[in-house]
Amino acid sequence: MSKRMASLDRRRFLKTALGVGAAVMAPQVIPGTALGRGGMAAASERIVLGGIGIGNRGTYDLGCFLPEPDVQFVAVCDVKAARRAAVKKMADQKYGNQNCDTYRDFRELLDRPDIDAVLIATGPNWHATAAIYTARAGKDMYCEKPCTKNISQSLLLAETMRRTGRVFQAGTQRRNLPHFAFACELARTGRLGKLKAVHAHPAGMSTSSSGWAAPEPEPPKEEVDWDLYLGPAAWRPFNRALLDGFNFEKGGGMVGGGVLEWGSHCVDLCQWAAGADNTAPVEYNPPQDGRVVARYANGVELVIRNDGWLPLGSCPVRFEGDQGWVEAGDSGKMVLSSPALLAGRKVAEIGGYPATFHVRDFLDCVKTRQKPRAHADAACYSHIACHAANIAVFLDRQVNYDPVKNEFIDDEQANRLRSEALRAPWRL
Amino acid sequence: MHTIRHFTMCAALIAAVVAAVAATHPGPAQAAEPAEGQLIDVLTSDAPRAEKAITCKRLAVWGTKDAVPALAALLPDEELTSWARIALEVIPGPEADAALREAMGKTQGRVLIGVINSIGVRRDAGAVDALAGRLQDADAGVASAAAVALGHIGNAAATRILKQSLPDAPPAVRSAVAEGCILCAEKLLAEDKAQEAAALYDLVRKTDLPKQRIVEATRGAILARRSAGVPLLIEQLRSDDRSLLQIGLSTARELPGNEVAEALVAELKQAPPDRAALILLAMADRGDRAALPAVMEAAKDGTPRARIAAIGVLERLGDVSCVPTLLEIATGADEDVAEAARGTLANLPGRQVDADLAARLPEAEGATRRLLIELVGQRRIDATDALLSAADDPDAEIRAAALLALGETVGADNLAVLITRVAGPEKPEDARPARQALRAACIRMPDREACAARLVAAMPEAPLSAQCTMLEILGAMGGSKALEAIGAAAKDASPELQDTASRLLGEWMDVDASPVLLDLAKTAPEEKYKIRAVRGYIRLVRQFTVPDQQRAEMCRAVLAVAERDAEKKLVLEVMQRYPSLDMLRLAVDLAKAADAAGAPAAKAEAAAVSLAIAQKIGGRSGDVQKLLAQVGHDPVKVEIIKAEYGAGTKFKDVTETLQRHASDFPLIVLPSANYNSSFGGDPVPNTVKQLKVQYRINGKAGEASFPENATILLPVPK
Repeated sequence: MSKRMASLDRRRFLKTALGVGAAVMAPQVIPGTALGRGGMAAASERIVLGGIGIGNRGTYDLGCFLPEPDVQFVAVCDVKAARRAAVKKMADQKYGNQNCDTYRDFRELLDRPDIDAVLIATGPNWHATAAIYTARAGKDMYCEKPCTKNISQSLLLAETMRRTGRVFQAGTQRRNLPHFAFACELARTGRLGKLKAVHAHPAGMSTSSSGWAAPEPEPPKEEVDWDLYLGPAAWRPFNRALLDGFNFEKGGGMVGGGVLEWGSHCVDLCQWAAGADNTAPVEYNPPQDGRVVARYANGVELVIRNDGWLPLGSCPVRFEGDQGWVEAGDSGKMVLSSPALLAGRKVAEIGGYPATFHVRDFLDCVKTRQKPRAHADAACYSHIACHAANIAVFLDRQVNYDPVKNEFIDDEQANRLRSEALRAPWRL
Repeated sequence: MHTIRHFTMCAALIAAVVAAVAATHPGPAQAAEPAEGQLIDVLTSDAPRAEKAITCKRLAVWGTKDAVPALAALLPDEELTSWARIALEVIPGPEADAALREAMGKTQGRVLIGVINSIGVRRDAGAVDALAGRLQDADAGVASAAAVALGHIGNAAATRILKQSLPDAPPAVRSAVAEGCILCAEKLLAEDKAQEAAALYDLVRKTDLPKQRIVEATRGAILARRSAGVPLLIEQLRSDDRSLLQIGLSTARELPGNEVAEALVAELKQAPPDRAALILLAMADRGDRAALPAVMEAAKDGTPRARIAAIGVLERLGDVSCVPTLLEIATGADEDVAEAARGTLANLPGRQVDADLAARLPEAEGATRRLLIELVGQRRIDATDALLSAADDPDAEIRAAALLALGETVGADNLAVLITRVAGPEKPEDARPARQALRAACIRMPDREACAARLVAAMPEAPLSAQCTMLEILGAMGGSKALEAIGAAAKDASPELQDTASRLLGEWMDVDASPVLLDLAKTAPEEKYKIRAVRGYIRLVRQFTVPDQQRAEMCRAVLAVAERDAEKKLVLEVMQRYPSLDMLRLAVDLAKAADAAGAPAAKAEAAAVSLAIAQKIGGRSGDVQKLLAQVGHDPVKVEIIKAEYGAGTKFKDVTETLQRHASDFPLIVLPSANYNSSFGGDPVPNTVKQLKVQYRINGKAGEASFPENATILLPVPK
């Protein structure tokens, strides 16, 4: 992203940070009747939104959408009755009516022609599959992270968004926070000198698998639809312990979550900083001294490490060039090797990693058809970097990746780990 | 019993395979060869289905053609079919293809759909005829899966079959057939068969299909034709259909070529204002500079929304020629439009723009003068003389704007201008912008030590409030001079300076502040500031990167001055968070000191910290054991009677392992903190397990259980 684009977005930040509502900034990007169906709609027409899989995180996201004056949330889908009821209550209270419809099967929600866009906040098991079905149904989407379970899903996700022309925003909201964006800009525009290394916090590197827990009596479908909850994951018997949290090998089958937890945020920022939104590192090494070191084709290192961070809050990143460095975290603060790097700029300190700006960015792009900050191609390659790192961890050896052919070089085991069959009837 | 034994065998086997791969990095065949037979045995045995499922995933990495028959046998199994396909979808070779093709004849419903999906993923050209037959399947799900699988295969035969099927496909299947056709068209395009691809896209566009398929085919039809696709592109941009307009806007960004840019410019002139704004944004994303004149026109005239969009586009396409127009708009009556213009002026690229704006400043008046001053600051243009002149303007708003701009641009030579106005502003209304300006200037000064020295030198003559302001600025700057000044201020007679300075020290972003904080912890004028200093010091120890030995020394130092239990407890937490031999020595010293002081609770706490540290750094070394002995962890006789590891009804006997690692202390340190690794595998995958131990210490019997991966510290029986 150019400096000018960044500044455009800074203006958005400032306006919102100052409490100036989206209604004021919207005219910069909302062209009146272009919103309308049949070219007849008024400028005030809203984006009609539905939600799929709205639990804890989804409720937070929805809380960012609902106050936007150009959003009308009309339907929720969840395999759990309690969540459907809770989200309906939240929406109906907001609008003072009883109009929010509820669905157990997301395909029914996607069949509604009035819905323009969808918030996808299921567990990671469903993210890519639901996103691809949503795009095929002709709807735009804001999809929570991690967006994919493996490399193949990452590529298919991006390919589907291109083919269908849909707007996709990954839920990596730090791309729309000013200090992270500024830090990435410093690295990308050469103001740190020649970039040497980008560092990401993964929040652990351990892998996990939900496996096949002991069977328990399956509740009625209307209460919990286990079959839909499993979705594309391989079959296993009902077990209530699997109903909460992240399950079903969110990081890609046997490889598990690994560095994806925060990596889908922090590695993603590193990718942006390295100007690598359309590529990925080519070499990934197994953990040594608690670090996974990957290397881009131009020699820049991607260092994934849990320790040694400045106290700047969660999800920290650090970018190092031969003339300076910057480190930033969720406190909203950043530390620079020299104050001169600010070059007179004022960077708003927004802590707590809110998704408000990210949601607004998505809504604007739904209207203009521009690419949002965390567009599908960027999400694709940042997830590929995480999956490839996980594969190096899993195989405990170096793996080499060709980001043009999108395959590991002379490495059948690693290549097999790029994908995993989906349970029928689901397909990508 | 069979289950446990069998699982143990499999787990050990799998662990061995993983270990072999990790240790020798052999190729996959060598890695899988010794293990595969036993993995296959799991599939063909009466092992629990859970084990078979996990084994399928292992075979997905290490299985060969030899595993295919056992995997294929699971395909008709509704519970295990998805697991078998995980392996079959990635095992290379014709055997897996053949197995999946064969399964098409033996399965139905969802299971069959899954098999077909896997054939599609494998792009098995040998399955085209069988898939073609399935296009007529009464189950629309099966027929749809077959259509998409044919699309993934995408060879000439598959393409021909899909083309023929499309017009007459049942409504429930037609969308999938179209999806298959679009996949085939993409393949044709990738093979430089653009004409054939365009024809196929056109076929889809003209078929009665859900709108989204039409949208996708329209995009493809435009891109396949390249510049000849421009008329079709423009048709979409004029469409009353929202979906087609949207795909037109996104395709306009994808389609390369000057013809596209020219067509968009022409379209801009005749499009309704709101539509024109969308086209403008697409042109900006394309970066077509040929569009600049049209964009300028749109910026000058039209609806506010269209003008704002055009002004935003100028930020990316514009140059110095846009400055006069933008200045006029930026000082105009429509505030929303003016604000957009001000934003674009602040970011319009080029040194020529800087020079143009600076040249206009001396002669400018009124709103334009103020705007130019702001732009000089925002763009950091070197125009100090003009700004210094404006800083003495009779108009307070001009003075404030000039001060703020100086904050963004002034060099070290002129810093005194701002310092003077902070220390003693002639006009009260200048105080606030002067403070903001000084802070901005100091933070960006490359030589922060010299800058700090100037501030420090000015402080004695400044009023108290200005001194506090300067301390805040020094705190934001950092550096040794600032640290020294703030440290001194923390011990000043003024309570205000003490408060400000001690707070700033507590937030310092560098361990260089540690000696200053330690000194303040001992000598601060008030108790509350001593506590603040201690806590600030502990923050440094806890949060910053320092060598192990230094961190231990820092913990020791702060414990010597911390008087309250709350802070001491924080230090003990830090010690456990950063375990090292130095930290262990400190913990042992603390325990001994507490013992000498007759403080049994403190001694126990320090002794527990000692053991925790020992566990983390590995308790087997002679140094560690000697240190532990000093705090009452005297050598004892530990006998492990029985040890089991597992969950529910599945436990494995780990007595021998524990006996091997038992020492002369109640603490047992395993080779790995991970129980699974230490005990040779996971007896109950995906379940939290327990370690149950029966033991004797010095002849007295005891029992204990530990959650998975917990420290094994055996309670000493009474």
